[in-house]
Amino acid sequence: MGYSDVQMIDENGNRVDGRKAGDIRPIEIELGVVPVADGSASMRWGTNYVIASVYGPMEAHPRKIQRQERAVLDVRYNMAPFSTTDRFRPGFNRRSREISKVTSDALESVVLLELYPRSKIRVEIEVICAEAGTRCVGLTAASLALADAGIPMTDMVVSVASGKINGIVVCDLNKEEDNYGAADLPMGVLPNSGELVFLQMDGDLSPSEFQEAWDYNMEAALKIHVLMKEAIAKKYGGGQ
Amino acid sequence: MAQPLVPELLRTHLAELASRDQRADGRGRWEGRELSLEVGVLDRAEGSARVQMGDTIVFCGIKFQIQTPYPDRPDEGGLMTSAELRPGAGRHIEPGPPSPESIEMSRVVDRGIRESGCIDTKDLCIIPGEKVWQVIIDCFAISDDGNLFDAFGLAAIAALHNATLPGERFDIGEDRKFPVNKTPIMCSYQKVGGRFVYDSNREEEVGGDERIHITLGEGDHVHSLQKGLKGVFTASEFVEIMEAAKVRCSELRKLVDSM
Repeated sequence: MGYSDVQMIDENGNRVDGRKAGDIRPIEIELGVVPVADGSASMRWGTNYVIASVYGPMEAHPRKIQRQERAVLDVRYNMAPFSTTDRFRPGFNRRSREISKVTSDALESVVLLELYPRSKIRVEIEVICAEAGTRCVGLTAASLALADAGIPMTDMVVSVASGKINGIVVCDLNKEEDNYGAADLPMGVLPNSGELVFLQMDGDLSPSEFQEAWDYNMEAALKIHVLMKEAIAKKYGGGQ
Repeated sequence: MAQPLVPELLRTHLAELASRDQRADGRGRWEGRELSLEVGVLDRAEGSARVQMGDTIVFCGIKFQIQTPYPDRPDEGGLMTSAELRPGAGRHIEPGPPSPESIEMSRVVDRGIRESGCIDTKDLCIIPGEKVWQVIIDCFAISDDGNLFDAFGLAAIAALHNATLPGERFDIGEDRKFPVNKTPIMCSYQKVGGRFVYDSNREEEVGGDERIHITLGEGDHVHSLQKGLKGVFTASEFVEIMEAAKVRCSELRKLVDSM
């Protein structure tokens, strides 16, 4: 049986978990989950569970990494050994290195690094339980943790992915869908300006499918942004 | 681990408190921090636990793999323990390969569990000489405010009691409850300001001296001991903490067995 033969969407357009094409999985956000960190946030997104913690701004050492005019971001994405069905061997691998880099590139685009010359801000993303789309959850949780640490940013980063299963474009693939997915388009959106700071894609999408996936992501990002603002308001008070 | 800027000031402060029989956070000598234990908290692990002691938070996840048995023990399964001190768990933790501290932690936790005999390794045999289960205990620090040893030890034994052997996923019969027939408990004591205290927090760890880890099983049987860090201690000091450990270990054993 080929990938495309597995039916993941029924005749009424319902997905395996009952969602419609444009729906996202349930999301729960909590700030300040790591008491010893300067800022932290956890996100439960479907059965993904990610904890991001932020330390700094602090002295950047060794000195050769210092930048005279701005802070440097030191971002690490890591998966816990028990986060996947088959045990994940601890340690840095090529995949986590790449995700760390693109996450860092995205966050550097919003953090006001020039306010902290010669210093370093550490961002640690720990995937405790992985379902699908951990890089998106990680990036979004990291921007929440930076906000919790009180580090000035031009905007939050909301990251979400859309993809294609059975020839139908759907938003926010879960694990089963991801296994049979024919395309994946993760994006990092700045909800206030609509600009992008993170973009990857793999698979096969026609121009119209691509547009559909893009629009789903933009729509979902605004919904998730509302949840992020609620979580921040819950801890710190203030309006939406 | 990074050195604090003013260790001597902290040491003097802790010694002054100790001379009045006080601790920095107001606890008694043998008093632990507020403790919370939850099991079955991780969706992808076959058994799991979350332990919070004050501001120290850890997870432990149990995973199973199939392996070939060792030639000299063809009918026995394997046990492996790892402890990860990720840099997210504290600003004093540097990124990089496993530190000597994390290796010591995993080995001390491992010994307490292994030597207590709470896991019957023969029960993990699938086909003698060919296939056995390997149990992997992964301890993972989320927030380090001191005494990760006890947090890891407690999370590990609670997660083992919570574990299910995933027979179906590996095509080896049905899923079944992983048999764990004892509850070894580790208690750690650190010399702070010249006397031993239970469950030192990060401040006491930084300004303290040697620590002693005691793992006790049923009937106060001793299953593992470890002295860590620089410092000397007397036989009578050891007797004192051993008596304290007997009390605390049985309290914690009741908690784990009630989950």
